[in-house]
Amino acid sequence: MIHSLFLVSTAGHIFLEKHWKSVISRSVCDYLFEAQGKASAPENVPPVIATPHHYLISVYRDRIFFVAVIQTEVPPLFVIEFLHRVAETFQDYFGECSEASIKDNVVIVYELLEEMLDNGFPLATEANILKEMIKPPTILRSVVNTITGGSSNVGGTLPTGQLSNIPWRRTGVKYTNNEAYFDVVEEIDAILDKSGTVVFAEIQGVIDACVKLSGMPDLTLSFVNPRLLDDVSFHPCVRFKRWEAERVLSFIPPDGNFRLMSYHVNAQNLVAIPVYVKQNVSFFETGSSGRLDITVGPKQTMGKTIEDVVITVHMPKVVLNANLTTNQGTSTYDPVTKVLVWDIGKLNQQKVPNLKGSLSLQSGAPRPDENPTLNIDLRIQQLAISGLKVNRLNMFGEKYKPFKGVKYVTKAGKFQVRT
Amino acid sequence: MPYLGSEETLKELKRALSNPSIQADRLRYRNVVLRVIRLMTQGLDVSPLFMEMVKASASVDMVQKKLLYLYMCTYAPLKPDLALLAINTLRKDCADSNPMVRGLALRNMCNLRMPGITEYIQQPVLAGLRDKASYVRRVAVLGCAKMQNLQPEAEIDGAVVNELYGLLRDPDPVVMVNCLRALEEMLKAEGGVVINKPIAHHLLNRLKELDSWGQSDTLTFLLRYEPRDEAELFDILNLLDGHLQSSHGAVATATLRLFLRLAAAHPAVQADALSRAQGPLLAMCASASRELRFAALCHVRRLLRSVATQYAAHYKRFFCSYSEPGYIRLCKMDILVELVNDENVALVLEELRAYCTDVLPELAQAAIFAIGRIGQMYSERCLGILVSLLGLRQEHITSAVLQTFRDLVWLCPQCTTAVCRAVASLEDSIQDSEGKQALIWLLGAHGDKISSAPYVLEDYIDSLKAELSSLVKLELLTATVRLFLSRPAETQDMMGRLLHYCIEEEGDMCVRDRALLYYSLLLCGVEDIRRILGGPTTDASLGVIAGHSEEPVDSWAPHFNTLELLLARGCWNAALSKGGFHSTGDFRLSVVHVRDGPHSSLSLSLEPALSPESFERHWLELDVSHVGPVTCPWPHCLPEALQAALQLVQIQVLAFSRPQSLPWKAYLYSHGDGTLILAEVLRDSTQGADHLQLTMKQVPRDKHVLQGFVAVLKSALQALSRDTS
Repeated sequence: MIHSLFLVSTAGHIFLEKHWKSVISRSVCDYLFEAQGKASAPENVPPVIATPHHYLISVYRDRIFFVAVIQTEVPPLFVIEFLHRVAETFQDYFGECSEASIKDNVVIVYELLEEMLDNGFPLATEANILKEMIKPPTILRSVVNTITGGSSNVGGTLPTGQLSNIPWRRTGVKYTNNEAYFDVVEEIDAILDKSGTVVFAEIQGVIDACVKLSGMPDLTLSFVNPRLLDDVSFHPCVRFKRWEAERVLSFIPPDGNFRLMSYHVNAQNLVAIPVYVKQNVSFFETGSSGRLDITVGPKQTMGKTIEDVVITVHMPKVVLNANLTTNQGTSTYDPVTKVLVWDIGKLNQQKVPNLKGSLSLQSGAPRPDENPTLNIDLRIQQLAISGLKVNRLNMFGEKYKPFKGVKYVTKAGKFQVRT
Repeated sequence: MPYLGSEETLKELKRALSNPSIQADRLRYRNVVLRVIRLMTQGLDVSPLFMEMVKASASVDMVQKKLLYLYMCTYAPLKPDLALLAINTLRKDCADSNPMVRGLALRNMCNLRMPGITEYIQQPVLAGLRDKASYVRRVAVLGCAKMQNLQPEAEIDGAVVNELYGLLRDPDPVVMVNCLRALEEMLKAEGGVVINKPIAHHLLNRLKELDSWGQSDTLTFLLRYEPRDEAELFDILNLLDGHLQSSHGAVATATLRLFLRLAAAHPAVQADALSRAQGPLLAMCASASRELRFAALCHVRRLLRSVATQYAAHYKRFFCSYSEPGYIRLCKMDILVELVNDENVALVLEELRAYCTDVLPELAQAAIFAIGRIGQMYSERCLGILVSLLGLRQEHITSAVLQTFRDLVWLCPQCTTAVCRAVASLEDSIQDSEGKQALIWLLGAHGDKISSAPYVLEDYIDSLKAELSSLVKLELLTATVRLFLSRPAETQDMMGRLLHYCIEEEGDMCVRDRALLYYSLLLCGVEDIRRILGGPTTDASLGVIAGHSEEPVDSWAPHFNTLELLLARGCWNAALSKGGFHSTGDFRLSVVHVRDGPHSSLSLSLEPALSPESFERHWLELDVSHVGPVTCPWPHCLPEALQAALQLVQIQVLAFSRPQSLPWKAYLYSHGDGTLILAEVLRDSTQGADHLQLTMKQVPRDKHVLQGFVAVLKSALQALSRDTS
């Protein structure tokens, strides 16, 4: 299925290759480089490239191309999901997925790839099973290894999880503190037009869980308002029939971190937009200059504070420099990439942050005909903007009393304002 | 990668590896091995160290073992004689008490890829199939397939195949899926693994235990299974139901594909499955990963061919944001065009209008073409936008707008006046050849309505020497001659110059031949050339056929969830790249601009032509192959229009009754896949106005072709009636 895997940096350097069936020459990546040459940015390289003898399916993540070489017909989503899984595993193991970290841990990378695929077919991809076979690198362990001079970072025994009735959970889990934490993370994707009216808005949410419970606990999670959710998708452990009938999540959780469910809220009227933006970006007909004036303030926040507000503006090419003053935060304009970043921080009710000043344009160049788009990043703690609330969490099947916690975070996803 | 000092490094490593004091210290030994592997991954040839490395593999350290296995698998094909030394160590490891060591050794032994290895690995692989640890069994099962790959010409061992079929009942789900995968590879020549009823039911029942990759693969294998009866079919569908909404895109799409395939005979079930899969698909369209988003969008784009209305309410999800890569935005624009209806057209157009000024010319042009496609239904709104875009005076935008104009004029004649007005006031020059061709065609075909036409053309003729594209030259020839027909006084002189240049100096034979042809035609007289060149400059019926028509699900279901979807460019782009069918007004019918429809597998043709006498003879001789009613609304148009429209789908109308008479009859014929099809269409007042009776005769008989013919006829009639009502 997956013949070979190449990891390629944006500079076009192949820094890792692994072959499962037969060795395929590195030159196959030339087709990728060709496509990269045509594309304006690495993100623009098409994910599927047909070459005379192979297909290249690539995923671009963290400035690395993960390129799978395919020789037979495969479901494309399968390969793309798998490549993302590889990247996530690296992220999980090394804390970051970058060229440097992969090169540093090249041995573990090979070990992981060896276990994840055999003959091109996925073998073990669940993080908690992999971690039992190959221990992630830690500073402590490398220190211990240096001192004792022994012990490899490979589990000598096979993970027992593979033998239990439930593939995602191993038997005989034991913890002294039994705890279950749930993070409800929501991202707002929205496009607002010039006047502030919503062109498009939706909320994408996920519930990530960290469950460390002994034995075989059977959990039931219920919501105050489950009807809010559209398009839910679950971790395989969730019993779908019960969700359909009673709208509760009933499941035997995997051990450790996992994504319990992801969902959407699309109904436009339900999506609250937490900030308002008043903006005026104009370029003068004469005198090669322009004006910029942006004001941001909190709108529907349900009493919570908005934090980490950052506004990014991609300016037209002709903008040479910006001379801006602000009453809160800092603003920087990079004349090379033409990106204006205004880092505001917290929004408070009393003082409304404002950024204004003049833009100097390249003299003689025609006035840009399109205004730049504002891209907003923000974060609200302790609030799920859709209003989703967890009602209660019950545990069956085990005697002890677990410690339970739910956290809510709202973030801006693809949130943009047109001018 | 030969670089300075590589020899030195190799020598040093060789010394270190054979140094007894290092060999005694596990950590140092491992670090040296690690350095060798590092160099290997950087592309340096470290095969000279093979001997030392083989020795190092007799270690108890697990990591070192893994590293050495990796080394051996890379270099074994280069050093087959030395690799044999390693086999002994590997075979010993295959009998280790730790299942992980056993599995690793077995897997790497199968990966050695050197001639003659099979005799050594056969025994350990077979033993591995019966190992008590599932980890080893998983490896051994795939090892069988690898063994087969190593010697492709060898006979397939029936005993192994039987053993693998038996292992489908293995308690470990991954072993089961691996068996399927291995059998598929080994039995490729015989058409892959056989899925009979017990196996299919077994797989379906265990589907829940598998991980998502296994599920996706198993669902693909299940496509081969044909349920015996309705009850079994619905049992299977019930089992699969939950997977339609799986959180893994690959599983959800694989399930949908299986649903569509199994329920091919139950359109209602198919429709239900499609609507249930809508949620997950839309969710994937908004997924965080660009590539997943793209793959999902490509799937949705294909779905829209049949179920556009279902998605129409979600059109806002397909609005592009500026940070998305070009390939996603192109895909979204394609989808938006399909989703347009009376309610959202204003918003969609406004959105597309915003994309027209995109920084990337490619995207801007795509947006303009998208507006042009919407313009085939909502011509007035779109014309306004397109004309205003001309005001931006950006070269690539103007060029794209002109190309859209050409298509619009050809497909919707009512636009002509507005387009001519816009073209007449066009001031800037165009540089790219596509745009030039479009402008020249417009000037030639509608020169009578554009007052400045001869002067613009004259400019082009004067700068002909600098023109590189022969397509533009061909276009210019045709346009000038056409313009000469409508405005002879202003054109005659420059046409003379053009023909002179093309015949005397032009190097391209095509251009010269075309010029000579026109010259000879002109010698024959104006009337002749008018008859040949003065064909229609619009053809509304084409627009109807190119426009929306719901395709049956089965037409694309076999390609669902395959690579083909992602590689397929938008059908419109493909049509555009076919290149200027407008340019050759005189060979108007040679390229038929019909979208690759469900019937693309069936190619009808009009050749060889059938004379009315021979038609009559055939009709009397042959037996009736098919009689049946066709339920489709009757197009209330003149029979001549019907004849022209059917000709476009390669069906010839040989004779028909007078328009208003009842019963009304028409006789048609066509050739398809080496058969001749004769048909009689009867419209009878006694059975309701919309009732058509179709009698067909075919020689030689081929039911498949006949069905295709009926489908083509039906869709053409439907398209025509939608246009005229």
